[in-house]
Amino acid sequence: MKKTAIAVLVLFLFASLLAGCAKKEAQPQLNLFTWEGMFPQEVLEAFTKETGIVINYSNFDFNETMLAKLEAAKGRDYDLVIADDYIIETVISRGLAQKLDKSKISNFGNINPIYQGQFYDPKDEYTVPYGAGVQTIVYNDDAVDIDIKGYADLWDPSLADTLGIIANHRVINGMALKVLGESYNTEDLDTIRRAGQKLLELAPNIRIIKDDNLQDDLLSGEIDVAVMYTSQVTMAKLANPDLRVVFPTEGIGFGIMANFIPSNAPNPDAAHKFIDFILRPEISAQCFEWLGYYCTNKAADDLIADEYKDFLTLPEDFTGDMEMIRSVSADAEEVHTEVWTEFKAACGQS
Amino acid sequence: MKPEALAKTGEPRPGEPTSREEGARKPTKRRDAMVLSVLPLYVFTFLFVIGPLVYMLVLSFLRRAEVWGVTLEFTFENYANILKPVYLKTFLESLKLACLTTLLVALFGYPFGYFMARQNAAWKRRIMVLLMIPFWTSSLVRLYGWIIIFRANGVLDGLLMALNITNAPLKVLYTYAAVVVGMVYALVPFMIFAVYSSAEKLDWQLVEAARDLGATPFQAFWTVSFKLTLPGLLSGIVLTFIPSMGLFFIADILGGNKVVLVGNLIQEQLMKARNWPFAAALSVVLLTLTSIMIALYRKISGVKDLEGLV
Repeated sequence: MKKTAIAVLVLFLFASLLAGCAKKEAQPQLNLFTWEGMFPQEVLEAFTKETGIVINYSNFDFNETMLAKLEAAKGRDYDLVIADDYIIETVISRGLAQKLDKSKISNFGNINPIYQGQFYDPKDEYTVPYGAGVQTIVYNDDAVDIDIKGYADLWDPSLADTLGIIANHRVINGMALKVLGESYNTEDLDTIRRAGQKLLELAPNIRIIKDDNLQDDLLSGEIDVAVMYTSQVTMAKLANPDLRVVFPTEGIGFGIMANFIPSNAPNPDAAHKFIDFILRPEISAQCFEWLGYYCTNKAADDLIADEYKDFLTLPEDFTGDMEMIRSVSADAEEVHTEVWTEFKAACGQS
Repeated sequence: MKPEALAKTGEPRPGEPTSREEGARKPTKRRDAMVLSVLPLYVFTFLFVIGPLVYMLVLSFLRRAEVWGVTLEFTFENYANILKPVYLKTFLESLKLACLTTLLVALFGYPFGYFMARQNAAWKRRIMVLLMIPFWTSSLVRLYGWIIIFRANGVLDGLLMALNITNAPLKVLYTYAAVVVGMVYALVPFMIFAVYSSAEKLDWQLVEAARDLGATPFQAFWTVSFKLTLPGLLSGIVLTFIPSMGLFFIADILGGNKVVLVGNLIQEQLMKARNWPFAAALSVVLLTLTSIMIALYRKISGVKDLEGLV
């Protein structure tokens, strides 16, 4: 009796397994690999409804994790990845991305040219940008006595213990480099060390160093000034429109997120379809309002609602004269880490 | 099992010279079964404990590649790097925080566990449940609870200002004190349980006997109860000290990233700076340090059995 029962159960299991397989084969798939929450649910649903392609959304926390997984899978497993510029440079150099078939992307021309031809993909062969960010200074006017115009003002003694910054060592070290009039990407070790010395003078002003939800601390009054990512600026501004946003006079380094198709993607057709879909102006506008990063689709700029326009689209006279943060040599990276660790410890002491 | 165990531990007595071989020969069948049943455990340990440890050790002697990954090049550079003052300081900082945390946890946890063991069965159960309930939520969520308490104009500030003790927000969040409170909060249950389990086994008649023989309550406690609950206290210390060397997210969340511990450094080297060999070297040193600590505890205390811990 027991044996038959077990046999029946096992049979059922196999049957359901087969059914699962059959279902999978019938419907085309898109294995999307990116951070959590990059698209509004409606957009993903609309895509599936229109094309019949089912989206398997898997996510990573860090670019580095993505690269490690992609490397382990030898460019298989995923059809479309969205990640940051500097890591895409590595991905392409290691042959883990495939060239796009632009004949399948009819909306390719919608991309804002400012975000094209960048260091990671100079000929725009592999990538389509999806959102860009800058690090801007945001502050609460009522609580701050001085007029903040650029990074250098953050060193002002009146800001003691009121400053919150993101935990990205290249951005923060870069801030000091810019104040010294140097490049973000300098390979000169002494220059990086000098920036480190400069940063130590900033330590008494630092209250928090963190990447996640820094805007909450600004809104709750824990800090009065913040250096943070575009998406956080968007959230802060939506919650409190009185906050002042400053584009630092020292120059801004854009970070660009972009789509690419891994070298051995199982369903490249689906990936091309998806890229084309999100490049449609009305879909793009919907995505960027939701995502809160700079709109990289020129055709969508006009469709973005007025309350978002200030921080999702570039000013008319913007020339695109900007320096981006790029990977530096291992030696330079080591000094950056050292400088950063020292700086953080100094913040705890003061 | 029995004869073999005897053979291993007991000195070979003159009367039974071949007990060792005999013991090995007799229960072969049973032994085969035993080997088979523990084999998965060995395989598991090898794959998921020894394997990664060896991998980490090897990695710590390699050099980082220019952009991504490592190159197969033997070097002591990573260990030499740790000797730089800036990184040595993180070890000192970790040690300092771990000692402070352990001390505070012992101060709170020991009396708690001790008096908990003296309650009647119903109260023991109730206290146990109260101690367990917070574990139903993730520790991260509980830490966020502390943020709500500590933040400017949060619960703590509200209370202090309502009572007219302070008249401006204290700014406790993102300070060293906040980190210490978070660490103590996260680790105190381990101490309580360890002390409780050894205090529960304590024979109270011994304390009564000491009192009958003229000891003051403190003398009775110090010479009898304390000595007998020492294994619990020591295993509590080990259970607190070792995690507190490695817990990095509390310093991140409540300390605003300004307290740089070895754990933070390892995480950052691994996830952000992409210097895996250096992260591995740091981990090896941390592992060695904590092992030495355990050995020291055992040596100093003379306790071999830390409540079945080590």
